[in-house]
Amino acid sequence: MKNNRFKLILIAVVALVSVWSIWPTYRDYELSKKLSGFRSSEDSLKFSIDHRAEIEQAREKSLKLGLDLRGGMHLVMEVDLFDLIEQKAWNKDARFQQIMAGVKSASATSGASPVELLAAEFKTQNIPLSRYFYDIRNSDQEIVDKLNNESQDALKRAKEIIRNRIDQYGVAEPLIQTQGSRRLIIELSGVTDETRVRKLLKGTAKLEFKLVKDPETLLRAIESVNAMLSQASPAPADSAAAVTAAGAHSARKLSDVIGVMKNGVVFTPEYSRDYVATLLNRDDVRARLPQDTELLLAAKPEQTEKGEKYFPIYLVKKSPELTGGVITEAKATFGAQNVQPEVSMSMNDEGTSKWARITGANIGKQIAIVLDGAVYSAPVVQSRIPNGNSVINGISGLDEAKDLEIILKAGALPAPVRILEERTVGPSLGSDYIRAGLQSLAWGFAAVALFMIVYYNKAGLAADFALVLNILVVVSVLAGFKASLSLPGIAGIVLTMGMAVDANVLIYERIREELAEGKSLKMAVDAGYGRAFSSILDSHVTTLAAAFLLSQFGVGPVQGFAVTLMIGTGASLFTAIIVTRVIFEMLLDSGFMNEKSFG
Amino acid sequence: MRLFQKTNFNFIKHRRVAYAVSVLLLVAGMASLFTRGLNYGIDFKGGSEVVIRFAKPVDVGAVRSVIGQAGVRGSVKQYGMERAVLLSTDYHGETADLKGLIIRALADRMPGNPGEVVSIQAVGPSIASDMKWAAMKALGAALIGILLYVSARFEIKFATAGVIAIFHDVLSVLGLFSILGGLFDFMPLEVDQSIIAAFLTIAGYSITDTVVVYDRIRERIRGQKPAEYERIFNESMNQTLSRTIITSGTLMISVLVLFIFAGPAIRGFAFAMFAGIVVGTYSSIFVAAPIVFDWQQRSKSAIKLRGA
Repeated sequence: MKNNRFKLILIAVVALVSVWSIWPTYRDYELSKKLSGFRSSEDSLKFSIDHRAEIEQAREKSLKLGLDLRGGMHLVMEVDLFDLIEQKAWNKDARFQQIMAGVKSASATSGASPVELLAAEFKTQNIPLSRYFYDIRNSDQEIVDKLNNESQDALKRAKEIIRNRIDQYGVAEPLIQTQGSRRLIIELSGVTDETRVRKLLKGTAKLEFKLVKDPETLLRAIESVNAMLSQASPAPADSAAAVTAAGAHSARKLSDVIGVMKNGVVFTPEYSRDYVATLLNRDDVRARLPQDTELLLAAKPEQTEKGEKYFPIYLVKKSPELTGGVITEAKATFGAQNVQPEVSMSMNDEGTSKWARITGANIGKQIAIVLDGAVYSAPVVQSRIPNGNSVINGISGLDEAKDLEIILKAGALPAPVRILEERTVGPSLGSDYIRAGLQSLAWGFAAVALFMIVYYNKAGLAADFALVLNILVVVSVLAGFKASLSLPGIAGIVLTMGMAVDANVLIYERIREELAEGKSLKMAVDAGYGRAFSSILDSHVTTLAAAFLLSQFGVGPVQGFAVTLMIGTGASLFTAIIVTRVIFEMLLDSGFMNEKSFG
Repeated sequence: MRLFQKTNFNFIKHRRVAYAVSVLLLVAGMASLFTRGLNYGIDFKGGSEVVIRFAKPVDVGAVRSVIGQAGVRGSVKQYGMERAVLLSTDYHGETADLKGLIIRALADRMPGNPGEVVSIQAVGPSIASDMKWAAMKALGAALIGILLYVSARFEIKFATAGVIAIFHDVLSVLGLFSILGGLFDFMPLEVDQSIIAAFLTIAGYSITDTVVVYDRIRERIRGQKPAEYERIFNESMNQTLSRTIITSGTLMISVLVLFIFAGPAIRGFAFAMFAGIVVGTYSSIFVAAPIVFDWQQRSKSAIKLRGA
């Protein structure tokens, strides 16, 4: 009996802790029901101000729903470490490009890190890494270590920068994790404008200030490219480029797609923009340009008086005068004279003094403000700018200006990122899933509980009590450890219900057998629990092992299932073996149970 | 209540029939696996899945032609929910572009019945191959882990037969997925992450019923002569028949509930679990214990129990 008292206390403690852990979830539900029940918004506002602390506390500690249930985005992004490696390399020649191309295609099928692949490739080709990386005196191993450090650092920085951007955009409780050597997992709930978020996350925001070459050089460069193109074979080298622009099918001469205005502005009409963009990226076209220059398109079209849209083309100095790293503050505003939104920026000390020198030396010339390879504006420098201020205009909407502000403030990503996996569930589908989940839970519990009572009578009732405690424990552990409940998680709970009673079935069948052999009730119960124990342990251990492996390998949805299955299986070991036994012994002592109670 | 009063089936006598059934099931499954292959979901092959829900009931054929004419290659099927269709395509570029294309095409061609994209899932090819690897590793690790545990707990003959039964169960369900894949609109039976979850759960659960039978055999066989083994095996299986079936039964209730109520996202998983439980229960009676029996007959020595 003394032993029983200890077990009873244990059960009571488990039940109380569970209820205590679930309580905020219940309060949160009650409070939000109350809030949505108010007729006027003043009432609900007053209520939420009065009960602010309580509401916040309940929300903080309540069971979180998974993205699939409340709607949201799950993204897996990859930081392009190859880009990073290329940034680090110097005197890149054709050999280097060839090796990089080979390593890139190899990495598509291999899980090894890019640095390892690169090092292996250099080794097989018998070239020291120091020919392209860091110092000539470095050994291969030193360079690999350095590159690895850089990669890890890049991933860490990318994570921080993306967290900054998300925080400033304003998403409640974002989850950002690193996975492996180059991936980030991002979970955002309640996102309404996915396209904007996607752009915000991916934007490298490489801001550069570049000197614009004078119109004569531009014209000469265009003519040189034109001459090269008309000599080249009639078929366009890039078949993809030929179909992108509607009017560009037969555009073999540059003059068909590029025009020159009287004031010297070189432009391309809107319909051939894509074609010209691919053309400007071609290596043979680039080779025709003067040393250290490139042709860039404007980010936004301009309009003629007749309303025709065109994109200006600029010839700029390839090495930037200044880059976005010096930007400390950015603010989206409306420009002084018009309603066009713009982003004003200020620079750190280093940037300010450089900017002052650059503007001072180039009065009367144009400086292009280039973001991710497109010219946003190219103002003519009027005077030396001593205070480090600059402005990006040519932005089409306030949303875009605000996103630009966020990206510039958070800083540029160390390397471009790509979205590898995306799962978006809209809130309407989420509420359908919630309904489906609740229905499964209710029906699953009702069916299993009813079956146990029908089949095992009063003993079944004890098993049902244990089952309730089991579910309580699962939910409370989820809430307590701030894990979220997803639809697969609910499936795990429903499955657990079916498995949890198994232990009781094994015990009860054994008790029935012992009773049939004519043993006393007390002895039969003892034998039932004693002899069924090893089978129960075996089945629980194997299920736990499988669930554990699943939680290790699975991502997102499947992990939720594995976690609930693990908690449920563990809890059922406790509830089936200890809880029902204590119930039995109490009922036996009180004479409430007899031989017939096992059905 | 009792579903099984004293039964007295001669399982051991008919074990060859059971072996034949199992071999047939496995061969059919493997044949289909090699010829038809598996119907992989986007988790493992990459691509995009879009769920579109309409305001009113909609003809899937009409949606299919609208989306096809918009230039999206892929299949359009009824999604297991009211007024919803599922578009699967191997596209894995910008989801925003895909979404825009679909919305514009539908608004244009089916103006009376607005469609809403309620869910998009897109998986790139590199991550899909990673997930495939991870799934294989997890399955392999699970099988090895269970093998180690079972061989630590049981004698070699019991352990090996138990693991054979696990392979039997998982491979049968895999074969079933290959045979039935794509036949039903309401459950496409695509192999994705949730199916791997089902396989792992089946592998973990398969041993449960087997252990119940094993424990009884071991309990009763102690100190008995090999000539008595056939009788003891049969009696043990009959004595545990009720609990073997009831434990599977309660789990089957749960899985059925999931199949019916939990919606299309869980249906493939529930089907795999259901098949796994049926095959697992069958295999613990007709595969695992008979193999131990046959092995013992061949080795002609008495079964030595640990600690005996």
